[in-house]
Amino acid sequence: MERTEIHELSAAYALDALGPDELAEFEAHLAHCTECREHVAAFQETVAELAYDVEAPAPSPALRNRVLADARREQPKVVAMPRRRWAFPVAAAAAFAAGCVALGLAFWASDLANQLDEERTAVHLADEIIVALTDPNADRIPLEGADGILVVDDESSEGWMLVNGLDQAPDGKTYEAWVIEDGEAVPAGLFTGGDSRTVVPLTVPVSEGAIVAVTVEEAGGVQQPTQDPIFASEQAA
Amino acid sequence: MARGLAHLSDEALVALVARADEDALAELYDRFNRVAYGLALRIVRDPSLAEDAVQDAFLAVWRSAARFVAERAKASTWILTLVHRRAVDLVRREQPRRAEPLESAPQQAGEDTEEEAWRRLRRARVQEALKRLPDKQREALELAYYGGFTQSELADRLGEPLGTIKSRMFSGLANLRDLLAEGDIEREQWKEPRSTS
Repeated sequence: MERTEIHELSAAYALDALGPDELAEFEAHLAHCTECREHVAAFQETVAELAYDVEAPAPSPALRNRVLADARREQPKVVAMPRRRWAFPVAAAAAFAAGCVALGLAFWASDLANQLDEERTAVHLADEIIVALTDPNADRIPLEGADGILVVDDESSEGWMLVNGLDQAPDGKTYEAWVIEDGEAVPAGLFTGGDSRTVVPLTVPVSEGAIVAVTVEEAGGVQQPTQDPIFASEQAA
Repeated sequence: MARGLAHLSDEALVALVARADEDALAELYDRFNRVAYGLALRIVRDPSLAEDAVQDAFLAVWRSAARFVAERAKASTWILTLVHRRAVDLVRREQPRRAEPLESAPQQAGEDTEEEAWRRLRRARVQEALKRLPDKQREALELAYYGGFTQSELADRLGEPLGTIKSRMFSGLANLRDLLAEGDIEREQWKEPRSTS
């Protein structure tokens, strides 16, 4: 598709008017086109005004309770643990990863968007990823040892990991993410995998020069890693 | 309800939601449920499906509030984008395509609240802007946004080449953005005279 033509799709994207294939192609393009991300952001704001050109009765009062019950059901994971020395050399992570090939982001995003269309039950996942892909200030850092990326917001240093095709953690085990900086590992969240796409919001900021690694630990997580990482990111920019 | 939060901006409420503040979510719901439900109902044309779309969107707000960055988007844009995406997903999956998506939903007298008045003002503003768009651009935007048609479906329906539809949506949105900017209203300015009474 020609460059000008794909830029035009930012309007259709903001209107949710792309078919599955076009959506996949455009989201892959968005991942590396700042100009389109800016267009999309501006168009989404314009498009949202159209929502006000609608007059309708109020929803049933029960809907409010349903919304709040949903929220209550989801307990946030709060992680506040002391920093510990990293229990194994970070070089081990790199050595492990060296044998593995990380796929390019464009392919990954495109494949992802295709899958998302089939996985609309996991709609919240799609939102997380769309935010990641359309965030003009985010750094995208490859993972080594797994198919995926680490996305880090430039301003807030907030990060999250998107991992493709991660097997479910064995019974009684969990995956645990770590932010490692100056040889110190800080726990950054637990997850179980098993979905074709796993999104891991990291619970601690990812500073410049840090890496993010993942180990398999006892269910419930640990305060410092006891295993070698199964995969890790390159250093955050 | 959640009255203690009424003075906060939408963006501040999202920041509280990111810290799992249920009252903040309730306040956001109270501010946006009417417009969210109206939008979803116009697209899916079924009250129960429309409520599902709104419920799903607010769950997404709850889950991904920490990812929302106020410097880059308005909270209202973000929430309504979530609602729209879900409504369109539902209508593409669960309903035969509507033949006449341009009809307006029947007008209902809303309760006379500040929120209601604010929505009426914004509605008048967007209607005025739409009126000034070239007919074909307005048609493309309305069919896509309220009808849930993809650009390819629109091309078929209107008997135009896909490239024409793409350009029309792009120019239409660019024009609409400019027209809306002319009639821009700041909520705080608008509220100013009322808050002293």
